[in-house]
Amino acid sequence: MRIQLSWLDDFVTVPVPVKEFASSLDMRGFEVGAIEPRPESSTANDTVFDLEITANRPDCLSVTGIAREVAAMYSTELRMPTSEMAPAEELVGGLPELSVTLEDADLCPRYAAAVAEVTVTDSPDWLVQRIEAAGGRAINNIVDVTNYVLLELGQPMHAFDFNRLKGAELRIRRAKPGEQIRTLDGQTRRLADNMLVIADGKRPQAVAGVMGGADSEVNQATRIIVLESAYFQPVSVRRTSKRLALSTDASYRFERGSDVSAPVRALERCCTLLRQIGASKAIGPVIDCYPDPKKPTCVLLRHKRIEYLLGQTIDSAFVVDILTRLGFTVEETDPGTWNVEIPLRRVDVSREVDLIEEIARHHGYERLPSTFPILDSPPPPADPRIERDRLVSQVARANCFSEAVTFAFIEHPVALPFVSDPDELVTITNPLSEQFTVLRPSLLPGLVGSVAHNHRRERHDVKLFEVATRFTRGGETRAVALAWTGAGTPEHWSQPSRNVDFFDIKSSVEQILNTLGVVTPVYRPATSAYLVAGHAAEVVTGNTRLGILGQLAPTVCVMLGLDGPDEVFVAELNLDTVAQVSSDRSNFRCAALPRHPSVVRDLSIIVASTLPASVVRDTIRSAAPDTLFSICEFDRYTGKGIPENCVSLSLRLTFREPDRTLTDTEVQQAVEEIVSALAASHQARIR
Amino acid sequence: MTDARAINDLRTRFQTDLAQSSTSQELQTVRDRYLGRKGGVIATLMKEVASAPADERPALGRLANELKRDIDLAIRERRTATGVGGQATSTVDVSLPGRGAVTGSRHPLTALREQIETIFAKMGFTALEGPEVEDEYHNFEALNMPRDHPARDMQDTLYLAEPLEPSAAPGPHNQPRTLLRTHTSGMQIRYMEEHEPPIRIIAPGPVYRRDNLDVTHTPMFHQIEGLLVGEGVTMADLKGTLEAFLRELFDPDTKVLFRPSFFPYTEPSAEVFIGCLFCDGVGCNVCKKTGWLEILGSGMVHAAVFEAVGYDPERYTGWAFGLGIERVAMLKYRVDDIRLFYENDLRFLEQFPA
Repeated sequence: MRIQLSWLDDFVTVPVPVKEFASSLDMRGFEVGAIEPRPESSTANDTVFDLEITANRPDCLSVTGIAREVAAMYSTELRMPTSEMAPAEELVGGLPELSVTLEDADLCPRYAAAVAEVTVTDSPDWLVQRIEAAGGRAINNIVDVTNYVLLELGQPMHAFDFNRLKGAELRIRRAKPGEQIRTLDGQTRRLADNMLVIADGKRPQAVAGVMGGADSEVNQATRIIVLESAYFQPVSVRRTSKRLALSTDASYRFERGSDVSAPVRALERCCTLLRQIGASKAIGPVIDCYPDPKKPTCVLLRHKRIEYLLGQTIDSAFVVDILTRLGFTVEETDPGTWNVEIPLRRVDVSREVDLIEEIARHHGYERLPSTFPILDSPPPPADPRIERDRLVSQVARANCFSEAVTFAFIEHPVALPFVSDPDELVTITNPLSEQFTVLRPSLLPGLVGSVAHNHRRERHDVKLFEVATRFTRGGETRAVALAWTGAGTPEHWSQPSRNVDFFDIKSSVEQILNTLGVVTPVYRPATSAYLVAGHAAEVVTGNTRLGILGQLAPTVCVMLGLDGPDEVFVAELNLDTVAQVSSDRSNFRCAALPRHPSVVRDLSIIVASTLPASVVRDTIRSAAPDTLFSICEFDRYTGKGIPENCVSLSLRLTFREPDRTLTDTEVQQAVEEIVSALAASHQARIR
Repeated sequence: MTDARAINDLRTRFQTDLAQSSTSQELQTVRDRYLGRKGGVIATLMKEVASAPADERPALGRLANELKRDIDLAIRERRTATGVGGQATSTVDVSLPGRGAVTGSRHPLTALREQIETIFAKMGFTALEGPEVEDEYHNFEALNMPRDHPARDMQDTLYLAEPLEPSAAPGPHNQPRTLLRTHTSGMQIRYMEEHEPPIRIIAPGPVYRRDNLDVTHTPMFHQIEGLLVGEGVTMADLKGTLEAFLRELFDPDTKVLFRPSFFPYTEPSAEVFIGCLFCDGVGCNVCKKTGWLEILGSGMVHAAVFEAVGYDPERYTGWAFGLGIERVAMLKYRVDDIRLFYENDLRFLEQFPA
């Protein structure tokens, strides 16, 4: 809302310099967006303030609305504009009669109109200047005066060309099926049957509260006009405005709630101005359709409640004075209790607390003391997910992954490989662009996209991770994703560099799962639309899949903007599932340390190279006595001396017993049993 | 049999042997001769000490142990001086980099989020997370933003083509989840529906709005919501708490300004500003010549919100605030383009302390 200082000065005297005034407006909740000097104004040092009026204060979308606030701010006089209606005899200038029928009092509780004989011409300079300073465009004296009243009083007005109205009548009704209207902006608009229109005897001549029709537009040839000043139901105007994608100064005010007591006053003001500028001599009587006049409501205000809410005592005299200046009628019913009547324009005030806000606002937030709330109960338990996610982040960072944050929306095509059924994808109805059409079912597309971003900037060794939410039709899941490309070990003078491989990413996954208390994760080959076959695994416990890891398929790499020969290894774990299978740390107990030495035996066997190490382990476990404490694969060799399609696997077996030292004989016997079991099950030979 | 003199002789002999050995191989031979477990000079000596008369044993034992320790030490010292593999160099180039990489960096948005969580944790606030796909009721209606309310224009919403499948345990007001939450304020409702006052929580997380990507807007960004409800909670408490928070987050001397504003779910409402970090309050382009930077929105919880969750607004009062993490991060770290937070350029990320 652009407010011109010289116009404001018609109604209230601002007793302070411009800058101080702007700051005071700010501190009352009217944010000053810009202060603009108006050198072309006839008033010296004139200024326009661009005020941000919050959605709850439609009553301040006018010069007088702001003037009332300013008068309260400085405890100074408010001079409201005057209207004198002409004596009745002047009204009958042979004017035709207008019939107004209010058919829908729900959507239009009040409709006022008046007929006037006019001379259409340009507006006087002062009027043009004020309209332009407010950001408007002067059109002709009639339209300009209606706009002037809107700016001054906040009441939207409209003028129809009387002679273009069929049947000399106005009907306030809902649009009929198939009806159309060409609005003032020249567009032909199809109307829906829940939209309120102002129609003549034949068809709509205005979309109520939004825009007038072009067919009854006031132009140079117009001799008689109908002035409209109404109150339209906010929700109806808003829906119509949204549906037509047409927002105007009028709809903006009506949808926020205009002043139901204002239409006649505004109509009178309009007539006064028309006479003042010589645009009209003969004006007909005001027709006011107001079947169910609204009464102001009252709210009880308790002095104690002000302190209870604000934490500060505010003087009773100040309370009464400020509310009165703002237009409330205050009456003390009991000591410390007031009955406050709320003017109809204050659509934002309906409760005691709304009045307290008015008091606090004008008393000044800067005068509010700073206190600290008393802690009177223990805090609730923390959200375990937050702690868990932090832990995951720590492990990933310790593994030299940097944290990424990516958008939750991705492109539809890149999401497809990450779901088994496209119907699982969550689609956005009104996306900003093709880039953001579905919610990510996996963190990997976004994360790998960030890897690609770094690649394009000549960064070839990239390790990124993200902890965030994924979406499918089934719901939200929290996940961690890792992406690793380039060097597997950082470059160092002491050793040759090598590229990342499966066991690098697996190590990071193992560390995360171990940190989160997953006791025995099992890794097994997996097939996936986005991973390279034979280089992909799923990690499970029991029948629960915790996640997936492996080499990203080249087709997916290319789709995500990563070309070139570099392999990308990725992993993604469902942290919600992981949390379900994690061991309960609250029951953790420390075990006694072994008091007897353990015995270590190394074993090298030759087996088929396709035999998984986990199967070898299982065979050893089932053949070995309980004294077998651990198995470690410390070498894996193929090549010279090893038959084709075979591998030499070296295992370190550690035996121990808590209460005694094992003898050589019994360990030897255990090893022999293991060897024969391996031979029987896998044709394993000792190397 | 042995005595003190014999032990002393052994020491002299060792010193001669040590002096004659120069390569690391020779050194190893000397070590094996004296310290070898089976048949080494010291091992033999220890056996002899063990069979010495009881009254001499402690003294001899002490001498023998001293000799053992001195031999071990002398060989270690000599070995270090000889260098690895017997090379002449006896120093390492300590200026060469260590093996392995430095740790990965923390994203500034999570780092800041954790810092804020920590500050509020000290003040007794517990951090909680809520769903990112919300229903109309929790995102709008219960927060005093009915359908067709102009306040909804303040937050342009992204809607799902079809709602998510209902969650396993639907609450009393759960509706089909059809939109991406436009703010974290829905967590106020979800938490109050399940708990009675007193309440002290913060709710961090991503939020979504239909904003085009530009220097200051992204369609996804992060917020932290705060909520405190109890008996006798005042707006002065809100002021004191947020001042303490902002002074810890920025600087103990930070100037804080509360200004009336409007949010449908709070009344009275306040926007909170800090003195401009860029011009010290003099006025610059960042603060649009005002000397102040808007940092968060806050206010006393609206009675309509309390009524929606079944609290008695006469008995309970409370306050809430919401802060955009990106905005704070931009001001705090002097980042001039919000999109940098989502590009994940390592040249950007690695600047932030791990």
